Amino acid sequence: MSENNYKVQRNLWENPWGYVESFFIGFGLLVTGFFLEMFVASDTPFTISYPYNIVFLVGYIIILFILYKWFSTTQLIRWLTKVPASISSIVLVTLLVMIMGIIPQIPSESNFINNLGLNHITSNWAFLLIVFQFLTCLGLISIKRILQFKWSNFGFILNHVGLFLALVSGMLGTGDLQRLSINVYEGEPSWIATDAKKNKVELPFAFYLNDFVIEEYHPKLALVDNKTGSIAHNNGKNLYLVNEGETYYFQNFEVTINKFLTSAGRIGDQYFPVNELGSPPAASITVKNTKNDSIQNAWISSGSFRYPYESLKISEEYSVVMTIPEVKKFSSNIDILTKEGERISTVLEVNKPFKFKGYKIYQLSYDEKMGKWSNLSVLELVKDPWLPVIYIGIFMMIAGAIYMFWVGNKITKN
Amino acid sequence: MTWIDFPLYSTIIGILWVLGLIFLLFSYKKQTVIKFANLLFLSGWFVLIVFVVKLWLELDRPPMRTLGETRLWYATFLPLIGFLTYFHWKYKWFLAYSIAMAGMFLAINYLNPETYSKTLMPALQSPWFIPHVLVYLFSYAVLAASSIVAIKGWYDNYKGNFNIETLKLADNLVYIGFAFLTLGLLFGALWAKEAWGHYWTWDPKEVWAFLTWMGYLIYIHYRYFHMHKSKQALTILALAFVVLLVCWFGVNYLPVANTSVHTYTNY
Ligand code: HEM
Repeated sequence: MSENNYKVQRNLWENPWGYVESFFIGFGLLVTGFFLEMFVASDTPFTISYPYNIVFLVGYIIILFILYKWFSTTQLIRWLTKVPASISSIVLVTLLVMIMGIIPQIPSESNFINNLGLNHITSNWAFLLIVFQFLTCLGLISIKRILQFKWSNFGFILNHVGLFLALVSGMLGTGDLQRLSINVYEGEPSWIATDAKKNKVELPFAFYLNDFVIEEYHPKLALVDNKTGSIAHNNGKNLYLVNEGETYYFQNFEVTINKFLTSAGRIGDQYFPVNELGSPPAASITVKNTKNDSIQNAWISSGSFRYPYESLKISEEYSVVMTIPEVKKFSSNIDILTKEGERISTVLEVNKPFKFKGYKIYQLSYDEKMGKWSNLSVLELVKDPWLPVIYIGIFMMIAGAIYMFWVGNKITKN
Repeated sequence: MTWIDFPLYSTIIGILWVLGLIFLLFSYKKQTVIKFANLLFLSGWFVLIVFVVKLWLELDRPPMRTLGETRLWYATFLPLIGFLTYFHWKYKWFLAYSIAMAGMFLAINYLNPETYSKTLMPALQSPWFIPHVLVYLFSYAVLAASSIVAIKGWYDNYKGNFNIETLKLADNLVYIGFAFLTLGLLFGALWAKEAWGHYWTWDPKEVWAFLTWMGYLIYIHYRYFHMHKSKQALTILALAFVVLLVCWFGVNYLPVANTSVHTYTNY
């Protein structure tokens, strides 16, 4: 037994470096990073933009290549291409991301969090250093397997190179990412957008909003506690969509919807279909109390920015209310006007962006207070020149995952 | 509405599965009885699928929005994983576990009556919604199954009759689950790009999904490099599952929760 033990015993920093050394180096990187974070001002996030990011990327890959090709016998490179170095960097990246998953990434009152930069992990020196080691491991190991290409390495290369490409180009690409938002009002052209830092940016084309359209679901029916004002039925879970002719049961009340109008106005003690700015939905309901067979008939309405809501008090404790309708779909019918005099018409909708002159144009938002009467549409323009590279990485990883699923694991097969 | 029928359906499924489990227990004495157990499991599963289909039609949107609806999907996927591993590797105990787990999810839904909401916000109305969520739920179910295997491994270890086959089963499940987890993550990224213009925003749910992914990545690499350190591997697998659980329900309770677009609605 002592002989066995003797064999596995080895001194720290003796060949080859294992987990202890790996974590030692990893923690060293973290401590260095946190020191930098404390003593070197880093208010501006680390970003480099064109052409420096391309130079950086190409240079990095060439250096990795040279390191692997001519220095792979050195201690450091051998260590970086072995699993312990990878695992320690994966563990430490995980640790830092876990901090991000616990501490909100917003300005903080705690000095400790501020000084160590724990509320902006993605631009934290410690994170950048450890990610750098992570990527270096990943890059070297990818080069290793590419150089000793075998078909059985196919899945390995898809996964590791794909991840490398997606991560590196995602990080370097942020310097070239342009994200603008623009407010477009019905009936007037707009071409001044704002960027993330609230600077005004003049676009090479203008937007003209012909029409902004919202489709809504029917409102829902709910039972509200008169004292607290909160939804009372079944822990607030069961809300029914208002549909003509339906009968719903709330505790000992039987609520029947006799008539439903999506856009109604009150005239006297009744609602009638009208189509005005701000006319809310309304419904005529009959409520029967099954305990004492009493019956109430009334109109309720969810109200709007212009008209008050109307509920029905059905007992000392409860009232029946109609909620504000939820949005089903919103879209902007726009024309894009170029300086050359072109006019391109399109409809923008959530999940259906439009590509134009290197930008992707998204339907972002509208005037939420006005709801379906909004004549403002907020659009977002994104220019992301690195996207093709990121997509190559992502699709390699998708292929790699399918390969992994298909072939299964090698450990068991051996 | 179909959720109203749920008590009926879940009771039928419950009875079929409990009977199946009893037969399965007897099959340790008399092997042929296992056929009846499987028949009962399959019929229960079939009833469940009928319910899911009816619910989907009735709601007029994919039933993947609320916690209760996701539990329904686990209850659907777990037996599938149990059947597949049973037919492939003949682990009876594993089949029993996956059926029992699925039954547990149904029981939780039975005890917490579900929402009737039919509405779906615009960002979720996308062709990516169904593949993203289904792939994720399937992967969670498989990875959860791998952790059950880890627990069994620990127990065996403690009793001194650990069999390396157990760890191999865990490996197979982790590889399948991890492949799907990767797909779920990447589909999510592609979808986010379509919906919001950016594929990754470090939203809390994304952060924890990433952590889960990293956890299993550690397991895979550790296993590859240290084939014989089974105890450590089992520990890593258990820890990875803790992260998965945080990702799955824990996120809602963390201080970062209110900034997430992913928290499941309760109504
Ligand atoms: C998409 C993510 C990843 C997947 C699916 C994956 C999968 C694998 C698999 C299955 C192996 C076993 C070897 C084989 O099958 O040929 C392996 C080996 C390895 N992986 Fe990964 N991996 C991923 C990410 C990473 C990362 C991020 C690192 C480093 C930071 C890394 C470093 C390594 C190393 C060093 C080996 C051993 C290679 C060797 O000894 O030749 N992997 N990986």
